[in-house]
Amino acid sequence: MKYLKTLLAAGAMSLASLPAFAQQDITWWDFLSGGDGVRMKALIERFNEEHPDIKINATTLEWGVPYYTKVRTSVAVGQGPDVMTYHLSRMPLGLEENVLDVISDDDLATAGLSKDDFFPASIAAASDAEGNLHAVPFDIHSIVLYINKSYFKGSRFLDDEGNLAGIESLADFEEALALAKENGSETPLSYATADDGSTYRVFFTLLKQQGGELITDGEVLAGDNLDKAANAIEIMTNWYKQGWQPEQAEYPASVALFTSGKSAFHMNGVWEVPTLVDMSSKGTLGFDWGAVQIPTLLGTTATWADSHAFAIPTGKEMSPEKRAAVMTAIGWMEKNSISWASAGHIPAYKPVATSDEFGKMEPNATYSSLAETAVYDPRSPIAGVASPVYDATINIISPAMHGYLEPAQAAQQMKDELQSKLQ
Amino acid sequence: MAMITNRRREVAVAMTLIAPFVLTFVLVFLYPTIRMIELSFTDAPLIGAGEWVGLANFKRLLTDNLFYTSLKNNGYFVLLTVVPTTALALAIAMMITRLKGPLQALILALFFLPYILPVSVVTQIWTWMLDFQFGVLQPVFAFFTGKPVPVFKNPYWVMPTVATVTIWWTNGFNVLLFIAGLRNISSDYYEAAALDGATRWQLFTKVTWPLLWPVTALVLTLQLILQLKIFDQIYLLSSGGPFNSSYVLLLMVYREAFQLNHGGYASAIALVLFVLIVVVSVLQFQLLRAGGNKQ
Repeated sequence: MKYLKTLLAAGAMSLASLPAFAQQDITWWDFLSGGDGVRMKALIERFNEEHPDIKINATTLEWGVPYYTKVRTSVAVGQGPDVMTYHLSRMPLGLEENVLDVISDDDLATAGLSKDDFFPASIAAASDAEGNLHAVPFDIHSIVLYINKSYFKGSRFLDDEGNLAGIESLADFEEALALAKENGSETPLSYATADDGSTYRVFFTLLKQQGGELITDGEVLAGDNLDKAANAIEIMTNWYKQGWQPEQAEYPASVALFTSGKSAFHMNGVWEVPTLVDMSSKGTLGFDWGAVQIPTLLGTTATWADSHAFAIPTGKEMSPEKRAAVMTAIGWMEKNSISWASAGHIPAYKPVATSDEFGKMEPNATYSSLAETAVYDPRSPIAGVASPVYDATINIISPAMHGYLEPAQAAQQMKDELQSKLQ
Repeated sequence: MAMITNRRREVAVAMTLIAPFVLTFVLVFLYPTIRMIELSFTDAPLIGAGEWVGLANFKRLLTDNLFYTSLKNNGYFVLLTVVPTTALALAIAMMITRLKGPLQALILALFFLPYILPVSVVTQIWTWMLDFQFGVLQPVFAFFTGKPVPVFKNPYWVMPTVATVTIWWTNGFNVLLFIAGLRNISSDYYEAAALDGATRWQLFTKVTWPLLWPVTALVLTLQLILQLKIFDQIYLLSSGGPFNSSYVLLLMVYREAFQLNHGGYASAIALVLFVLIVVVSVLQFQLLRAGGNKQ
């Protein structure tokens, strides 16, 4: 008995004296709400359970300008988090502001990762001009075309398996819209026409499908890109004039138009997949739905895309142990990103993206091919989430397509306004 | 000798008494202002130092179309708000002073209520009421124009609507100032004028208006300063659009500083706005005083 006590005491003392058992607290910031937020919170909880020596203290901040303003100001005074989520479309501004620390190959090794584990496009987007990595890509998310199949029963737009078929050009797509309208769809194509992000993503997709570029060598809509932009706005204006797209729809309204069965199509980010999966499994949706890559309407296959990534702020006095803990957390998140994929995203980590489990996940598997032809925002400090490009969209494109300005003039105004911001 | 000591003591006491104010003023107003002026001559980011660039920011400002658009919109907004809100407040105040007792207090409270609300609540209320799809006011628009109007998305409606919301929100304070001014006018004047056979209109133009002039001038000047600083309502209701038709100078400062990280350029715009407000309001107050003296 006495022997046992001594043993216990010795054990307890040796435990207490070992610094390796000190718990590392990680301060984590993200901007993930809705379905994304729920899934990320679950991931963090699981991580904390599996790692008694590391504790992630997560704070969710408001998406967009508020988040990135807070990141910049807090990092400048050395009060930033230990790790944060970051949009890859925002990298150029982040690098210019110098808020993103370099993530070395050693760091990646600590996390059990290497650059080869990721799609090359996302690694390029996360690196600076010298090839130094500043963020670890987590996913690829894009817009997709959601379909309400009930409007196309018996038409040439559904194949034998009930999948969308026969849309290979703008004319095909508009024929489908007209058919859906005839079949009683109030607004056959719903997207948030009064929302900056949603309108921008559709516009940028249409621009890239014509092989157009928004910014080239510091020039906005150079050469015939101006005409291509005008054409994209023209197409969207026509959809409005035909009564195919809703007038001044805010984001929630645009989703509701689809989920309530009033719209045959819905163009929106993959992040609404959980909404539809949940409604469908609860039996509250009331129609057969699907989600596919945006069809090639204008010659070139292209879809707007962006990535969430993990980044470490600069100027933070971080012990090697803490840095290792942060990298461990990032590595763990990547390896468990199959849970994140259930929010509709395509994992950026290839071993998960190419796994059987992901291959069977629907509807992700149907549209995951878009990763090959996904187009990111131009690499410019004025583009990306919550950027002047987003502002110009709500300021110019959205009112123009509602008939307040001619498409050509709107494209010219986009060019002038964004060009002046590039100084 | 005793005199001098006394004087010194008085100065010391005076200094101690004003010290808290002076220190606070220097710390939170004078120092930041000087720093802002300094910043406007540099290419500094939002945080941290920058290179001295001389007048480059101001030269750029003079070639920036958005600056002229914003300036014009600021002017338009001032036109839409300053005089209308003052006239409205005067009318309401004159009606309220005719009421007596608890009823007067109640009506005054009703008019003052919106002023207590934070700007975010005010804009939320109006966003709902004017919502394009579900707003309770849309049937009214539909009755007059034939169809619903997306007021914050329409380049012609946006500024008048923001002005209306602003007047609704801030009018209560002006009413209060006018009521204080009206109560200051001795009833003797009215009695004397009435005995001389003055009509109601004469009572207003010959007694109320001239005696109330200092308050009117004050309200006009306060409103001018306040409305030139328009930002919150625009940011929350229309974000400057559509086609920059509601873009104003402070929104430009905000976007340059917090979105594009151009601390120097943003300071230059802020400095121009600051000088503009000082010049215009001093000028207006002097003019109004001169106008009042003539009467």
